[in-house]
Amino acid sequence: MADTLPFTPIDEIPKIHRELGEVFQTGKTRSIAFRKQQLLQLCYLLQDNTERFQEALFSDLGRPREEAAYLELIGTLLEVKDAHDKVNKWAKTKKSPFHFLWGTLSPQTRKEPKGTVLIISPFNYPIWLTLCPVSSAIAAGNVVLLKPSELSPATAALLTELIPKYLDPDLVRVVNGGVPETTKILELPFDHILYTGNNRVAKIVSAAAAQHLTPVTLELGGKSPCVIDPKCNAKVAAKRIMWGKLLNCGQLCLAPDYILVPESFQDEFVEALVNAYHELHPTDPKTSGMVGKIVNERHMKRLKQLLNDTKGEIVFGGEVDMAAKYIAPTLIRDVTRDDALMSEEIFGPLLPVVPVKDVEEAIAIVNSMDHALNLYIFSDDRAFKDKVLNRTRSGTASMNEVVLHVIANDAPFGGVGGSGHGYTTGKAGFDTFTHFRCTVDHPAWYVDSCCRASVPVTH
Amino acid sequence: MSLKYTTVDDIPQIHQDLRRAFRTGKTKSIAFRKQQLLNLCYLVEDNWERIKDAFFADLGRPREEAQLLELNGTLGELKEAYDNVEKWAAPEKAPFSWLWFAMSPTIRNESKGVVLLISPFNYPLYLLLCPLAGAIASGNAVLMKPSELSPAMAALLTELVPRYLDPELYQVVNGGIPETTKILELPFDHILYTGGGRVARVVLAAAARHLTPVTLELGGKSPCVIDPKCDVKTAAKRIMWGKLVNAGQLCLSPDYVLVPEWFQETFVEALKNAYYELHPIDPKVSGQVTRMVNESHAARVKALIDNTKGTIVFGGEVDMETKYAAPTLIKDVRGDDSLMSEELFAPFLPVVPVKDVDEAIEFINERDHPLNIYVFTNNSAFKEKVFSNTRSGTAAANDTILHVMAYGMPFGGVGGSGTGCTTGKYIFDTFTHKRCTTDSPGWLDPALMAARYTPYNKSAFRLLNALLKPTLPPRDGSMPLATKLSYGAVIALAGLAATWLACTGKLDLRLPLRFLNRL
Repeated sequence: MADTLPFTPIDEIPKIHRELGEVFQTGKTRSIAFRKQQLLQLCYLLQDNTERFQEALFSDLGRPREEAAYLELIGTLLEVKDAHDKVNKWAKTKKSPFHFLWGTLSPQTRKEPKGTVLIISPFNYPIWLTLCPVSSAIAAGNVVLLKPSELSPATAALLTELIPKYLDPDLVRVVNGGVPETTKILELPFDHILYTGNNRVAKIVSAAAAQHLTPVTLELGGKSPCVIDPKCNAKVAAKRIMWGKLLNCGQLCLAPDYILVPESFQDEFVEALVNAYHELHPTDPKTSGMVGKIVNERHMKRLKQLLNDTKGEIVFGGEVDMAAKYIAPTLIRDVTRDDALMSEEIFGPLLPVVPVKDVEEAIAIVNSMDHALNLYIFSDDRAFKDKVLNRTRSGTASMNEVVLHVIANDAPFGGVGGSGHGYTTGKAGFDTFTHFRCTVDHPAWYVDSCCRASVPVTH
Repeated sequence: MSLKYTTVDDIPQIHQDLRRAFRTGKTKSIAFRKQQLLNLCYLVEDNWERIKDAFFADLGRPREEAQLLELNGTLGELKEAYDNVEKWAAPEKAPFSWLWFAMSPTIRNESKGVVLLISPFNYPLYLLLCPLAGAIASGNAVLMKPSELSPAMAALLTELVPRYLDPELYQVVNGGIPETTKILELPFDHILYTGGGRVARVVLAAAARHLTPVTLELGGKSPCVIDPKCDVKTAAKRIMWGKLVNAGQLCLSPDYVLVPEWFQETFVEALKNAYYELHPIDPKVSGQVTRMVNESHAARVKALIDNTKGTIVFGGEVDMETKYAAPTLIKDVRGDDSLMSEELFAPFLPVVPVKDVDEAIEFINERDHPLNIYVFTNNSAFKEKVFSNTRSGTAAANDTILHVMAYGMPFGGVGGSGTGCTTGKYIFDTFTHKRCTTDSPGWLDPALMAARYTPYNKSAFRLLNALLKPTLPPRDGSMPLATKLSYGAVIALAGLAATWLACTGKLDLRLPLRFLNRL
């Protein structure tokens, strides 16, 4: 499909960047009415083209159309509409609380756009991870250079076509390409960069940003564990975990990566997972098309290697069809901490179950890795939940559910440590692309007595 | 005073010890944090005189100035952290949303881990202890690297910090480039660097290798834009005062002045008068103006003033032996002058004549975004024009410097002047990870969320989509029909209610009717 996505000529990239800066200087984006109109247009871009987006996601990822509709497309529409509805509130100048010492200065905080924002988005959720931050950047009054992933070329091509049709063509400019084009982009100065992807490229982006003192927000990943309390509702837990694991064929930063169960409970929980899988997929997904495919050959090879190297016991699945880029949903039990499946973020439909002695060992394993983007706890016991929450760190934490917490409005979503830094979604996304400019106005009538050391020396 | 540098080989161990101390979980306790913050307040309160001695030794700073500004300012921030740590650290519930309330979204304020603070020479107490308070309040362990260019203060803090604070969690490392390079090889959970752009790039590049988030407090050339109709006397005095605080070695200093050409003489005269009011005795004698921090800076500023093509109104001398630079006023300065080539960080005040406020704005926008923009005017349209057409970290009207202390404001730069905010609750938030959590009850699935599961049940799936999918207003942005109808319904209901009340005598319409008749 790569040949249907024309790459932007490298020489044009500095020109596009310069033009964006010039548009910003005109002050066009300061108007809240303008921003609202653009955000509304972005809503219609999504609503009017639902089927075309479903086609593109199917082409890029084999994503089932229903899954695309209710999760990524509606999810994105909800976020963009939220930005449209709240932009006035978010952008309003904030007065500081009264303080007797500083009240006469009328301290206020203006919310000002940063300028030209660079958004680099990944292949796996190529609409959500592109248009949500774009909507935050527009709401905050910025202009945007968007670099969607070339690994999901159908979606990138569709966005390239639709964005200038729906939005002011000067506001968001799409640049397509691979490593050379992205390298060129990163030589240029931006006012903020949002990179969503993996740690390796994140370091390259951060190093490039350092040269221009550009602030960077990183949405990365990690291995999101599920910690199971044996007293939990195993049926519900297993179903939710299996559902979350198989979304987009496991290619989701929110995917439950692996499970930690007490040894004594492993058999029961594995059985619950098997039942959950057959409930969700009574027909082999290779036939039903209800689980997508892996994005490309490189990732197929990576996952195949993990399967080959695992010392755990495969309960079901394990088939790999390189030609179709299909890996069967696979459950593996008795996985140890040093197994191949525990060496990197899986980003595939493989679900390892790691038996542990108790919750202490579970916590120790979680803490032995980089902080994950998400921590999942399945328990109805407050003390159990608090213990795991208080003794671990993660970008986010969700109890008794997976994935959905990202859409809960106005809760800032972001990683910590190896899973990234900074926040996106809702108001947090708006704030990320906003400069908080504090202002005061000190009246002349305020006698310059107590605050200045301007006492003439009298000796 | 000589400052003992930390042995480079010891630095990784210090870092390791801090990580271990953080992992014990000791800092989770709010009571513990409060006690440390109180101890930090007393570190300052108990050592007032020694601190003033250190300022004088490092910078020749007048004791009154030190007291009024840096000491009071620092203690104010520390006390604010102490008073508010419980409130700041408490979990927050996300605003209500009918779609997600059942999941109880909550934001936990969690410590990031081990924080690195690199502070500069010019406000060596404030610019280290204020972020330290923020880091303590947010439950982190801290490695502090104070500037070796203010060795007396660095030595004093090295002595006092382990006496007042938990020595396992808060450590000071001293040194120059080799020591700082070593520190920057290590992984931190957040870095705050206060200083200049050149070193900021080095810090950022080092942080990139570990994906460490960084906050930068840098500087820039903070302009003063003058409206000729302003209160000239007050403006001149506040600018001159601001310029000479710490001899201009302050990121908040008014760097240069932009005046309309025809107004230059008047304003220069006012600045001159302001100067003589503030310093009737030559500050070289009175000691009321700080000196340059070291020879290298003294030489730097001497070159700037020696090479100016502007007209020196008063001052101009730099005494290399005492490192004293005389307060200097220069007029007729052009954009390409030596005085406009870098942030001055000196007691020199260039006055740049421009055609009008539009040219002033253009002049500012041709340069990096400064940390502050100062406007002197009583005309809100003039003020708004300058604020709206420029970009800067902060913007103050009719005063200089003081806005940093104003309660509840996010103080920070933009572009070349930095990124992130460092005062009050904002520095607490800087060193905090906002971990959002949800807790989904089992009944959500039977109550509709089951529609998300394969195999898809067509009607349940349709219902779920219908509930989740938002309704869009008309494309042209006009009021949606539903909203129009609801407003209409409300007005109609109100009218009906008023009519009924009037007819039944419960509402006396005589007064409003009389009023309407008059119209």
